[in-house]
Amino acid sequence: MLYLSVGSNLNGACKPMSKRGAYQQLEPQIVIDANTNTHPQLEEVRVDMAGMKVDSRPVELLTSVGSCIGICLYDPAHKCGGLAHIMLPHSSQGPLEPLPSKYADTAVPALAAGIRGMTGVEAKLSAKIAGGANMFANTTANGLDIGQKNIKAVRETLALHKINLAAEDVGGSHGRRINFNLVSGVITVRLHNGETKKL
Amino acid sequence: MSTQIDVNATNKTTQDDEINLGILRELGSIGAGHAATSLSDILQQSITIDVPKIHNVKPYLIPQFYNLHDVPTTGILLQLNEKYGCDILLTFEYIEARKIAAMMNMVSSVDELDQTMETSALQELANILIGSFLTSISDFVGVGLMPTTPQMVTDTFDAIIDNFLVKQSMVSDNALIFETRFKRNGEDAKSILMIFPTQELKDLLVERSKSMMGV
Repeated sequence: MLYLSVGSNLNGACKPMSKRGAYQQLEPQIVIDANTNTHPQLEEVRVDMAGMKVDSRPVELLTSVGSCIGICLYDPAHKCGGLAHIMLPHSSQGPLEPLPSKYADTAVPALAAGIRGMTGVEAKLSAKIAGGANMFANTTANGLDIGQKNIKAVRETLALHKINLAAEDVGGSHGRRINFNLVSGVITVRLHNGETKKL
Repeated sequence: MSTQIDVNATNKTTQDDEINLGILRELGSIGAGHAATSLSDILQQSITIDVPKIHNVKPYLIPQFYNLHDVPTTGILLQLNEKYGCDILLTFEYIEARKIAAMMNMVSSVDELDQTMETSALQELANILIGSFLTSISDFVGVGLMPTTPQMVTDTFDAIIDNFLVKQSMVSDNALIFETRFKRNGEDAKSILMIFPTQELKDLLVERSKSMMGV
């Protein structure tokens, strides 16, 4: 099966960080992959807060998180993956709502089921996660560091379902924009100041 | 092929709820009017407010509603004392925040600002604006509402607000969010004042307001 070989679509998207240029709008970029030809950026599909998407097309799933976490599960054999934007650790806490992608403990099995439903096989999945920040340091004074609780719950749930956590970029006090490339399985995490990391 | 969780939802309100929302909206108008006057005094410019809105929605729908996902934003957080537990968030698009900070520092260009000047000016702005907002409401309902020291962060809009939406989600499927927007010299100041009141505070304000009005 031939897929477009597209380098990380955010390569080069980070403009030089001048003293005053650190907060530029995030603009779509066209990327040239040095190994092959010129490709347009993959279509970006946004996943909203408490939402979830599973896809097998050559697209990038995108979400933006602070204390929430983006959970990305990937089936590399079938180039099929899913992203859930979870808000809370456990579905047993707080008001119950039939929205599995809102909670860490229900989003992971829902994503896995979605991928298996799409590929039709019980393939081995790998996970990458990003988020869990504490944006306002003093809010922990009320006993609420929901970012850390989310991180712990996601790790535990992945272990429970025997899904390998291949990479993570979590904690801190900054938001993250997550781009999940379903062709390569690579996740690009971008901070508001333009700094990027690849997972 | 793609699957999407359906997040469309609407909330039903009773007649009593509508009356209570009307009271809160009126309180918000009083507060926002005073806040706009304070802001106008600080900046020496014409500041007006839009009619305040109250959103009674599922918290996770808010980012879609504003559609400002990755827009660089400065957020200033104040909280009411623990008794009333309430988050108050003032956001400015980052570019606008810097313009306002330059005006407050009386420098002609944002390039003349350093980080300390910017932070100090915007925290002071939030103190005055939100202090004025709360004082006018406090005076009306006869309850002391004192805010904490402001905290400020600059990040993307979604990252800044998600902490508050998560907190709301922990106690209720629906969140009541009060919102007002300012205009500077007739143009959108790209600023949103959001208040996330607890049920206790909502009940208190409604009860006191009814008592004041003899309802």
